[in-house]
Amino acid sequence: MTATDSHCARGKVALPGSIVNSAGEAAMALDGAAFRDVLNAALVWLDRHHEIVNALNVFPVPDGDTGTNMLLTMKSACQEIGNENLSSVGEVARNAAQGALMGARGNSGVILSQILRGMARRLDGETKLNGPRFAAALSEGSRIAYKGVSKPIEGTILTVVREAATAAESAAALDVDLAFVLDRAVRAAAEAVANTPNLLPVLAQAGKVDSGGKGLFLILEGMQRALLGEAVDSGAACGWPAALPAAQAQRLPKGRRPLPAHVYGFDVQFLVEGSGLDVEKIRHSIAALGEYPLVEGDSRLVKVHVHVPDPGKVLSYAVSLGFVTDVVVENMDDMSVPATPAGRDPEPPHLASQAVAVAATSELHVGPGVVVVAPGPGIEKVFRSLGAHSVVAGGQTMNPSTEELLEAIQDLPHHEVVVLPNNSNVIMTAQQAQALACKQVVVVPSRTVPQGISALLALDARRPLEANAEAMTAAVASVETGEVTMAVQDARFDGIQVHTGDIIGLHNDVLTAMGSSSADVVKQLLAQMGTRSLEVVTLFFGQPVSATQAEELQNEVRKLYPGQEIEIVDGGQPFYHYIISAE
Amino acid sequence: MTKVNRVGRIQISPHAITTIASDAVLQCYGVVGIAHKNLFGSLADLLQSERWRRGVEVRVNDGQITVDLYVIIQYGTRISEVAHGVMHGVKYALERTLGVSIAQVNVHVQGLGMLNDTR
Repeated sequence: MTATDSHCARGKVALPGSIVNSAGEAAMALDGAAFRDVLNAALVWLDRHHEIVNALNVFPVPDGDTGTNMLLTMKSACQEIGNENLSSVGEVARNAAQGALMGARGNSGVILSQILRGMARRLDGETKLNGPRFAAALSEGSRIAYKGVSKPIEGTILTVVREAATAAESAAALDVDLAFVLDRAVRAAAEAVANTPNLLPVLAQAGKVDSGGKGLFLILEGMQRALLGEAVDSGAACGWPAALPAAQAQRLPKGRRPLPAHVYGFDVQFLVEGSGLDVEKIRHSIAALGEYPLVEGDSRLVKVHVHVPDPGKVLSYAVSLGFVTDVVVENMDDMSVPATPAGRDPEPPHLASQAVAVAATSELHVGPGVVVVAPGPGIEKVFRSLGAHSVVAGGQTMNPSTEELLEAIQDLPHHEVVVLPNNSNVIMTAQQAQALACKQVVVVPSRTVPQGISALLALDARRPLEANAEAMTAAVASVETGEVTMAVQDARFDGIQVHTGDIIGLHNDVLTAMGSSSADVVKQLLAQMGTRSLEVVTLFFGQPVSATQAEELQNEVRKLYPGQEIEIVDGGQPFYHYIISAE
Repeated sequence: MTKVNRVGRIQISPHAITTIASDAVLQCYGVVGIAHKNLFGSLADLLQSERWRRGVEVRVNDGQITVDLYVIIQYGTRISEVAHGVMHGVKYALERTLGVSIAQVNVHVQGLGMLNDTR
């Protein structure tokens, strides 16, 4: 590593222990808030490239892909540092490490959590982050990471973090400037990643670099870009990492989709057969043409694998060397699964099918997309039959996360989206997702499933979004909801004393009924809801109730209310014996 | 266990399976040692290589192979993820090396390794 470009080489000396560099300027050092921004930027950068990391996977471990695992781990880390009160670098690091520990996914995620753990240990008590502290933190991260396994394997993320830390330490000895130290660390990481096939035979066989190492490199690179003020996301000012533009585009077929951006270039592989091939010279030339070059072989046969913006140049070069075979050229920006094998032209569109295709696309976008939260499979079916496009499972506690809702919103091709939370707990989560989404989102405040159904029935796709929002909100108020479940603890609610095991009934979210059997409570609720003046009653029965029991109840209720329509539906929801809709 | 093909028989001893499994376990991230089956606690008796067998149990019933592993996992890692990694890693290693399918891999976490333990 040369020192000619450091301040020290010009005869100046860095002041030890301070954050002023050798030229007397305030060196690049970060406080807690800036460190948080840098980590978030690394997350965004990793998100943009995580599919590439997934594609590098060599081991068929079904637990998930390295890119996704590292991304989820990093997301969990960044989730813990959102608190504005964390002002020191040490606090941010500690919280990030804690988040990573809790959210670690897969092998690579666990190792990443250990690296962050080591960094947090070293940064404990530090207010600001400069070059030497970063180097020490990375070294400790590497040390802890290695301690986590009995037989560390070289040629993996462990190698990359170790070499990055070593380079960082050397750099820190020359200059306290964080940008300089991080730059050296990033370069060393890149080299280490490129070298992994030389350390781990299975990588060489697959012609790939190590996925975990690449993931770590991307995290460091993202941090560096943030430090230098370079953009990590591609434009839209969203609060959340934007999905790769190509991921949305893949829903529409080729020739009908918005073209993906030129971000990654082409993955090119080939073999060259000849005589007297100079592997070193070829490696040098290939490295000049693209990124992540992998050149192996001998004087008779050379295998090349490289990422280039224009495959023409590297293939022309290859042809000049000898006999070229086994050529693979893949456009890494095209995330769609190829419908036709490479080499065959796709079918030219006929006029007739073209018209159908155009109609289909325009149908797709009439009216807003509808995202609903449903507690059970039967209820999900009901919502879908009413036109819901995306159903987020409520789970046992009817508590989807902001991310799940946000994903559902972003995944739809619609630019306008309506969200039906169908539970009072979820309304706020939905509003958070609305704030983060890059689309027009309306959250209709449905507190129960029947309210959600009523709202969805009120949706008219031809109306503008505001009109629909009004109509749907009004519809929410017009339906009576009853919920029947079993009390899991003793409590005093709304003036009624409840004991564990009692069957309780809620009318529009207020506890108003109690009894020894769910059938009894249903009848109480129906009386309270003023069923005699209503027209249709729907009983969604859940997991605690069998179909036979539900049918029996239906017959009994029919006898009590001969003037009303009584329907039963297998909602499949957990915990709630019945969800009653009456209107 | 025995595999029969058209040329003859291949007999793989439980000891061989144990050795492969032990090696695979120690390469799994988060595992800092193999522990004795009957030993619990964080000041683990980390076995020396000759005694690994007692922390790795292989049973073959009707051609179904079950592996039980008794491990010490690094404190401060997400244990559920590490355990999953061990299950998949050992299964994959055994299946690839022996060419037989493994019915079950059970992971028993006997203790947690502390950073300060001298290793």
